Amino acid sequence: MLRAAFITRQVPHGSSLARETQDAILATSALTEDLSVFFIGDGVYQLVSKQKPQGIACRDFAPTFGLFELYDIENVYVCVDSLIERGMDDIELIIDAERLSQSEINQCIRQHAIILNF
Amino acid sequence: MSKPVTIAVLVTGPAYGSQDALSAYHYAKSAIELGHTIQRVFFYNDGVLNGSTLTSPAADEFDLYQAWLMLAREHKFDLDICSGAALRRGVIDQREADKAGKVNFNLELPFQLTGLGQLAESIVTADRVIQF
Repeated sequence: MLRAAFITRQVPHGSSLARETQDAILATSALTEDLSVFFIGDGVYQLVSKQKPQGIACRDFAPTFGLFELYDIENVYVCVDSLIERGMDDIELIIDAERLSQSEINQCIRQHAIILNF
Repeated sequence: MSKPVTIAVLVTGPAYGSQDALSAYHYAKSAIELGHTIQRVFFYNDGVLNGSTLTSPAADEFDLYQAWLMLAREHKFDLDICSGAALRRGVIDQREADKAGKVNFNLELPFQLTGLGQLAESIVTADRVIQF
């Protein structure tokens, strides 16, 4: 079994969940490479480029996704169905996430012993 | 009776306002009664509010703060409050309050401010990580 799956489903700035999930992922990557990240539902909005959240007094944590590659966080997936639903399937995302369908994501998540859902 | 496992409990809801923390507490208590070990309870997101000493339930309502205190003391597990999440939400211990120039503080042992490293450690080592 794979170890840890982090599922992130929230828009980047409507609540602190998305940013705090990113922090938890980075902290966990310091102890293990056996982790996967799934951007599903509204979570795909976190991957939109050229965000300017300073305008709403929020922290721009999008650039910090750049640390995923540096920290060897390789198993990063984005739900294609969620992108299509939101009219985002042809835009450039800020990180190199593997595009999977909803059912492929479900199957992949099931392979993990620990599933955290934010 | 299943084989005893070590369980880390992740709490993301406050002491009052949603059911997450209450469910987490009852789950932890039941797991202990069944012979399992609570490795730690980690409070993240709004769950950090569980650590506030200022929580004041009505006299005839459940005191979850006291309940966590007693369960943790009796069964010797840590009540870890994520520091960054806590400070941003107004939950702060004496040391951080002094550093920040605050007159008051509202976090004391056995609740303690920690980093996300404790959550990471549980993710890597616990048999189960159960999220509420």
